[in-house]
Amino acid sequence: MSSGMWAEKYRPKALDEMWNQTEIVSRLKSFVKDRNLPHLLFVGPAGTGKTTSILALARDLYGPAYQNYTLELNASDERGINVIREKVKNFARTAAIASEVQFKILIMDEADSLTSAAQHALRRTMEIYTRTCRFVLIGNYSENIIEPIQSRCSVFRFGPLGEEDAKGWIKHIADNEKLNLLPEGLEAIYEASTGDLRKATNLLQAAAATQSGEIDDVTIYSVLGRVSPGRVRELINLGLKGQFMEAREVLRGLLIDEGLAADDIIRLIYSEVLRLNIPERYKVRLSDTIGEIDYRLTQGARAEIQLSTLVAKLVIIGEEING
Amino acid sequence: MTAENQPWTHRFRPSCQAEVVGNERALSQFRTWVRSWEKGIPKERAAFLHGPPGVGKTSCVVALANDLNLDLLEVNASDFRTKKRLEELVGRASFQTVTITGKRRMILFDELEGVSGQQDRGGITSIRDIIKETMIPIVLIATSPGEKWQDKFRPLVDLSTLIEFSPVPFGAMVRRLRECAAELGIAVDLEVLEHLADRSQGDLRSTLNDLETVSRGKERVTIQDIGGLGERDRKDYTPDALNKMFSAKSLKEARSVISSAHIDYDTLFDWIYENLPVVLDSPRDLVRGMEALSRADIHQTRAQRTQAYRLLKYMFNEMTGGVALSKLYSTGTGLLSQVREKTATLGFPPGAFTVTESREGIEVKPVKYLGNDWRTVNNGLREVGAQWVRGGNAWLIPYFRPPQLVWRYRRTYQSRRRRNEVAAKVAERCHISSKEAVAEVIPLVKVMVDGDPGMADEITGWLDLDDKQSKWLKS
Ligand SMILES: Nc1ncnc2c1ncn2[C@@H]1O[C@H](COP(=O)(O)OP(=O)(O)OP(=O)(O)O)[C@@H](O)[C@H]1O
Ligand SMILES: Nc1ncnc2c1ncn2[C@@H]1O[C@H](COP(=O)(O)OP(=O)(O)OP(=O)(O)O)[C@@H](O)[C@H]1O
Ligand SMILES: [Mg+2]
Ligand SMILES: [Mg+2]
Repeated sequence: MSSGMWAEKYRPKALDEMWNQTEIVSRLKSFVKDRNLPHLLFVGPAGTGKTTSILALARDLYGPAYQNYTLELNASDERGINVIREKVKNFARTAAIASEVQFKILIMDEADSLTSAAQHALRRTMEIYTRTCRFVLIGNYSENIIEPIQSRCSVFRFGPLGEEDAKGWIKHIADNEKLNLLPEGLEAIYEASTGDLRKATNLLQAAAATQSGEIDDVTIYSVLGRVSPGRVRELINLGLKGQFMEAREVLRGLLIDEGLAADDIIRLIYSEVLRLNIPERYKVRLSDTIGEIDYRLTQGARAEIQLSTLVAKLVIIGEEING
Repeated sequence: MTAENQPWTHRFRPSCQAEVVGNERALSQFRTWVRSWEKGIPKERAAFLHGPPGVGKTSCVVALANDLNLDLLEVNASDFRTKKRLEELVGRASFQTVTITGKRRMILFDELEGVSGQQDRGGITSIRDIIKETMIPIVLIATSPGEKWQDKFRPLVDLSTLIEFSPVPFGAMVRRLRECAAELGIAVDLEVLEHLADRSQGDLRSTLNDLETVSRGKERVTIQDIGGLGERDRKDYTPDALNKMFSAKSLKEARSVISSAHIDYDTLFDWIYENLPVVLDSPRDLVRGMEALSRADIHQTRAQRTQAYRLLKYMFNEMTGGVALSKLYSTGTGLLSQVREKTATLGFPPGAFTVTESREGIEVKPVKYLGNDWRTVNNGLREVGAQWVRGGNAWLIPYFRPPQLVWRYRRTYQSRRRRNEVAAKVAERCHISSKEAVAEVIPLVKVMVDGDPGMADEITGWLDLDDKQSKWLKS
């Protein structure tokens, strides 16, 4: 059987296999023991085990046929709240007859991407189906979840995994896959991914694909250079060098060919700018500009125009820096 | 008009679905949906057909109406400017399931992209209201160049079953062209058909037009006959109007481009954006000009949000005067030096090309016959917007080039499609959203697949990708 991506291969199947998040795990286990749970809200940064723990809980609760009793929806992929409501309705309408647990579990990932109007609609739906269905909402920021929903849920805050756990996880996979991962390589993966285990795992697998021998920091950097942050760095450097047209072509490549969303691009630009080797006061100025553009984007402005405007500002700042 | 003197595109409009080539899936989706009305009102009362121009969207609807003997009421964009007019046209029709002669009916709203979503908001709302209550099938068609097109029609999209049309595949296109020519007794060399099909990017309508032009008055058409065919997308008034705008010294003068460019202001905005960095070639001007354009964009967003369309005048001021009056230090020689630079990097000795300015733009002429190198040079110069002028034996880089966005979307149509399919699979397998799959995961998966063939097979198998999707991932 092919094992595909390691991030999935090594995803814990049971709550007992989770790394750290000890308090959360023990609370979740008590729900399993009681065979009952409230509506849940999981918040925290990417790759810290939010999705993993709810899937593990479902498996512990319902056994191997857990998929019959759970429905995973990703709010950012669904076409509008009405579509979501329709799906929820179809799923939640019937009780979980074949199982000794009286309810099903509906997992709504990226719930924080829903507008507040959509969340209000969802809240009503939660109310209606509480008898037959528990809602587990997942998101990165609790601020983006309306209070009435927060008040209906038990809130669990996932922190990023600490250095020791994160590195332990990477080593665990490297050992299982019989890789020759040098300490510098491990350090570089951790630095690039901090506590995001999905990113760490994917990075390790990509590195292993390009390098059958020793994996060191150079291997990791060369992988990083080939993914979107690398293209974004190119965009920034072209801008600073005054090559607006060329930078605009790179931007179009990211937006159209690679299909990145504007907010993803701006996030990458921001984190690359902080790492730039330029006088610190220019970083503050750039941060202010990025903030302004970021805001305009949230107001529905055209992505390419706004990002190009940002590139034009890079051109002028580049000119000042180079005198 | 007799059939003989009608344009070929009309003459060869498919009269039944069997004559529509390509897009088999879309055709059958559409047929299934229309037929589902025979069993009562389906969940989605409208079908929304979308795709690039000239690939058979309208034809497919007309043809099926013929096949199933339906009475088709066609309503065009220009008809739904106002709610009242629209209601006069279709109001009652949508409740009458059969005509007096007993034919079942269907309504078609064609060319929705002509509804610019601003002044015509009311139109969209009333179409939506009609859909909600209709007793007969409603078909919507829009030509969709950009990815965000759906946002514009959100209220309609949400109520419809979406049916996507793709560019007509090369082989199917050649086959259809050959049939058409044969029907008229004209012998066209295969080479000609392939050349025309190749340059059309899957737009069968434009290819038929081209074929009609080159075979006028001939019984046999060879590759020699295809000279003089212009590239499409050339809007003649626009460059002149832009020229005036960019050199305007007053707001009023600059603003007059809005009416003189003969294109809608969204398209005009794209033209200005495309050409701004070439005209404003000094960084200080550039940054002010882009800021003006960005402010224009914001004013437009506000006008749309609040539906207070008087706010649009601020958009117009920024996008014309704001840009033109930013020009203080620019020399306007950006394009010329860009072309010089490009020409120098093509790998030929100095003096292999002459670069001169003419009224329409910059001309690059090879001094010697290029032979097989022609293609390389053409590809290189295309990047700066050059077009090969057959008779003139030179490339022309117009001073103002059309917005590259649409072209880029068209050119990457297939690969974006594959990307979205792969993203959906990755999203499902990895329990993340498609958006995150595209931004975070797929780039790394590409590195994995590229680095290790064994792992590549494992991953494509695990993701259950078909050949085309795997090929995209490996590219
Ligand atoms: N605490 C953890 N213990 C073990 N594995 C983890 C943990 N956190 C993350 N992982 C691993 O990282 C990958 C992603 O985890 P998961 O899907 O749970 O992230 P998430 O918190 O839901 O992130 P996102 O916000 O991006 O959805 C999984 O493959 C999982 O194996
Ligand atoms: N798939 C096709 N099969 C056969 N003929 C086609 C096809 N596509 C286009 N044609 C020819 O081109 C003409 C125009 O096609 P049609 O009106 O269906 O295009 P469309 O997709 O509706 O384009 P637009 O978006 O510009 O309205 C037809 O009359 C027919 O001659
Ligand atoms: Mg998750
Ligand atoms: Mg049409």
